[in-house]
Amino acid sequence: MTPRRMTGALLASPLLLLLLLAFVAPVLLMVPLSLHPYEPGTGISAGWTLANYTSIFTDEYYREVVVRTLVLGFGVTAICLLMGYPLAYYIANAGPKMRLALTMLVIFPMLLNLVVRSFGWIALLANRGLVNNLLMDVGLIERPIKMMFNLFGLLVGMSHIFLPFMVLMLVPAIQAISKDVQAAAYTLAASRLRVFWSITLPMSAPGILSGSILVFVLTISALVTPRMLGGPTYKVMATLIYDDFLQTLDWPAGAAMSFALTALTLLVIGLSSRVLKRWGGHA
Amino acid sequence: MPALTLDRLEKRYPGHTAASSVSLSVRDGEFISLLGPSGCGKTTVLRMVAGLIEPTSGRILVDGRDVTALPTNRRNIGLVFQSYALFPHMTVFENVAFGLRRQGVQGNDLKQRVDQALASVRLSALGERMPRQLSGGQQQRVAVARSIAPRPSILLFDEPLSNLDASLRDEMQIELKRLQREVGITTLFVTHDQGEAMSMSDRVCVLAHGVVQQFDTPEAIYHRPATGFVASFIGRPNRLAGRVVRSPEGAAAVHLDNGPVLTASGAEGMAHGAAVDVVVRQEDIRFADASTPHAATLAGRVAMRSFVGSRVQYLLAFGGTELIAEALTNGPHAGLEVDAPVRVAVEPQHVYVTPAAHRAAA
Repeated sequence: MTPRRMTGALLASPLLLLLLLAFVAPVLLMVPLSLHPYEPGTGISAGWTLANYTSIFTDEYYREVVVRTLVLGFGVTAICLLMGYPLAYYIANAGPKMRLALTMLVIFPMLLNLVVRSFGWIALLANRGLVNNLLMDVGLIERPIKMMFNLFGLLVGMSHIFLPFMVLMLVPAIQAISKDVQAAAYTLAASRLRVFWSITLPMSAPGILSGSILVFVLTISALVTPRMLGGPTYKVMATLIYDDFLQTLDWPAGAAMSFALTALTLLVIGLSSRVLKRWGGHA
Repeated sequence: MPALTLDRLEKRYPGHTAASSVSLSVRDGEFISLLGPSGCGKTTVLRMVAGLIEPTSGRILVDGRDVTALPTNRRNIGLVFQSYALFPHMTVFENVAFGLRRQGVQGNDLKQRVDQALASVRLSALGERMPRQLSGGQQQRVAVARSIAPRPSILLFDEPLSNLDASLRDEMQIELKRLQREVGITTLFVTHDQGEAMSMSDRVCVLAHGVVQQFDTPEAIYHRPATGFVASFIGRPNRLAGRVVRSPEGAAAVHLDNGPVLTASGAEGMAHGAAVDVVVRQEDIRFADASTPHAATLAGRVAMRSFVGSRVQYLLAFGGTELIAEALTNGPHAGLEVDAPVRVAVEPQHVYVTPAAHRAAA
């Protein structure tokens, strides 16, 4: 090892050691854990089995939770992208003062505790919540519409919570697009809409990619908001893992589900980067 | 009818005027350079013609039609940027095809027109490459092909060569000029490089502080500068200060501060003692030989000598004034040593005299 690389390794070692002990080791310990059978009533037994993994695909309940988590992940990402892009586009093209003010406004909700923000949505969406009360008072509906403990509630709440992340990733990406390149398209008889579709949007692919990955990963691994807005019964993978570990004490199933969630995340990230890179010409 | 007319075009920003009453009339197929130092307003004028900057007042006419209010995408102009501004996510072919597709050109016709444009910049083989796989010079050629493919009525260049290295720049100058001749598009070329402007243009428009200083052929700009600014900007000038001297019988002259007296035809009509700015170009200082009458020469000595290839540059001292003069390397005056006495002469019409910009008259 050259002295230079030696110095680098030494400088990185405290953090490396901490990560190895506090993160990598527990994860590795979970691998054998996920391969043990769990007997309700008696606990984790000594034998070996793949059932914890196969049941994720075969068990109908598990499958439903996995699909629901994916739908939620893609749904929240799509909503954040659709709502965040116009805002980010506006911020990126605004003057410096306006840009600062708007960026502060985007960040502002993140200063509030996550539990408080989630609770805010309960107050709005519950059967006796603000929205239902208002609709009933106006006479548009007779009975409350169910807006919590289902996909709708989770989509609404989590899109709100993760929107700032999307905007904050998109703004620098859109700002980085050369004004000259957009002007060049404009001189070549392209309409404003055409310039956006053919130039600005594909050239912001890196921002769309990083924003989408961030929001997707945050969504499918989120625990607090799904627990509060989904309740104990409408579960996603993260809440299921939480309950496996802390409620039913079925650690092997929880561990297997954790690895499945990780694999799913890596798979989606890998695929989406390939698609978007080709589209944006960065391959 | 002129292909392009700028009629008292103005752009004012709070606190400064980028272009002040710029009027130009450009003939069909002409190659015009807008020349000036940075901040002189040349790029502002170009961008107003492109429709990327809205003029405060004035009109822009293309083939007699007022386009001042038209948006950029409906002006039928080609613009080549200093940064090339290629579409990084499209192949070279798609870059060139972009403008043609907007005109509804399709299929074989499209392919033919793109191939033709790429051939004219000698890049026929590179259609399937991505821009980042090309060198700077090749990217610039693609940018040129992209802008000429839709056959614009005006072609605009915004300092297109300043990102290229010197040898490539010379090559591209000749190539752009040849291409412009072939396709015959009226061209407006923005540059801060006088050599570039002189060698490529039919006419040069010199701008300073947003004001047109002179709009004429390169020869006229060089030999008959209309303002003190043009004299001090074109060529390799010595910029000096002095005062007008008038003797009852002789021609007008200027007395350089702490230095010699130069006969200057430009000082005629100026009052005795008036403070003036004086420009004497390096290439206008001639080394005197035996046949030159003594009275017409200045005596000084060589303070420094530098060899710059085809020329030798001398820093000459005349009392308290220093002038840079040059001699051809293979000429008779190339071998002067430091401290050698010299005699030089400057034709009176080559001493450019303008009232001093910032000094009070005596």
